[in-house]
Amino acid sequence: MRLWRMVVAHAEHGPAAAEHVGAVAVSAAGVDAAAVAVVLDASPRETIYASDRFAAELEELTLTVGEGPGVDALADGPALVADLTAEECLVRWPVFAPAAAKTGVRAMFALPLRIGAIRLGVLDLYRAEPGGLDAGQVADALVLADTIGVLLLDEAERNRSRPDGSWPEHTGAQPPVVHQATGMVIVQLGVTAAVALIRLRGYAYANDRRLRDVAADVVARRLRFDADSDVGGSEGLDSG
Amino acid sequence: MVPPQLADVFVELADTLVDDFDVIEFLHVLAERCVELLGVSAAGLLLTDQQGALQLVAASSERTRLLELFQLQTDQGPCVDCFRTGEPVSVTDLPAAGRWPRFSAAAAEVGFAAVHALPMRLRDEVIGALNLFDTEPVELNSGTLRIGQALADVATIGLLQQRAIHRRDVLTEQLQTALSSRILIEQAKGVLAERHHLDLDTAFTLLRSGARSRSRRLSDLAQAIVDGTAQLSSPATARRPS
Repeated sequence: MRLWRMVVAHAEHGPAAAEHVGAVAVSAAGVDAAAVAVVLDASPRETIYASDRFAAELEELTLTVGEGPGVDALADGPALVADLTAEECLVRWPVFAPAAAKTGVRAMFALPLRIGAIRLGVLDLYRAEPGGLDAGQVADALVLADTIGVLLLDEAERNRSRPDGSWPEHTGAQPPVVHQATGMVIVQLGVTAAVALIRLRGYAYANDRRLRDVAADVVARRLRFDADSDVGGSEGLDSG
Repeated sequence: MVPPQLADVFVELADTLVDDFDVIEFLHVLAERCVELLGVSAAGLLLTDQQGALQLVAASSERTRLLELFQLQTDQGPCVDCFRTGEPVSVTDLPAAGRWPRFSAAAAEVGFAAVHALPMRLRDEVIGALNLFDTEPVELNSGTLRIGQALADVATIGLLQQRAIHRRDVLTEQLQTALSSRILIEQAKGVLAERHHLDLDTAFTLLRSGARSRSRRLSDLAQAIVDGTAQLSSPATARRPS
């Protein structure tokens, strides 16, 4: 809740967005700069937020050389690099590591924005001083990365704001049924996992129901999503 | 009584701890062996996420109701108490104990009378709990509980993937990866259930045998299925959902 209040404060009167969470991440993790890059299917990496020119340049570098913690994090999970000039970093990222170090960054922490198979992008944190993050900073950064993921899904849902200022529903902590339903909707609609989850969330929102209840209906085969239905799901059992 | 296959189980588990092993498959095998060795009805492993809540990572059975019971323990239940105190929790008669009303009601619905939670410890830190359920309101003797604790310790070792965890951030990263794999597997189960008209249990069995026959990690195959880059053929014994 503490973190979310910080995000809302940053957002002032508008709806909270990835950029506000990014700004909070800079102070919560004690770093100098942050950036959010999204990687959607069939689209190249795109920087949607950079706290300053420094972060924007480093994102540009990752895109150009096609390697770095920000690339690995997407596939392998968090990449927490205490010192980019360390031998193992030069081996792992022979182009990125020296180039990044040259711009003045020593530590970099890349956190995936990921919900199971859904890969939305990365939150990259940069610091001029070498050294790791402490336990609290890692935990905060992971929570904020999760929040950015949820906000990106919300944005895809035509950017509905949350007037009550409550924390967005954390998709990662949802019961298994939500993820099972996501899998079923992937097949029903022939879409990616990200789109399937957006449709489930959209349906829940539009019908003022909890995501987990809608998901339970899908898994029990009481609700199906049809490719030609605009609103979302169709009630009733399908014979197929 | 110690079942004769105890040593075999430890050898089996130790054998899987090779480089680049599948941690999720390892934890599933471990949960299954807990049921066999300890004579309980069900076992599950819960880990803490970055927000300090417990999430299920592997279970001895994929029955949806059972998964939900494990998952229910985000804010109350024996695992939460075990996780907070670092001490084992044993309740042999849930309704009589009158603790955790919401959890007890859900456990009774699935037919469980007794529950045990054993801490998964890494030095001075508790990273999760091994959760055991029994349909009979019976106590586990101290020998059985000791074996259970040993299995919980093995789970912790497996989870750390033999890497020396010196820093808390690496540990957090490992836990996060394990929990993320679990979500991936649920998504893949949904894809398979829908595509082949299976119930979710059967979908998991299909996924698991597919991973074994291809020598792939469960989470890698799950990712490929969700992405649509891998297909599994429907099993001959496919059951239609009722």
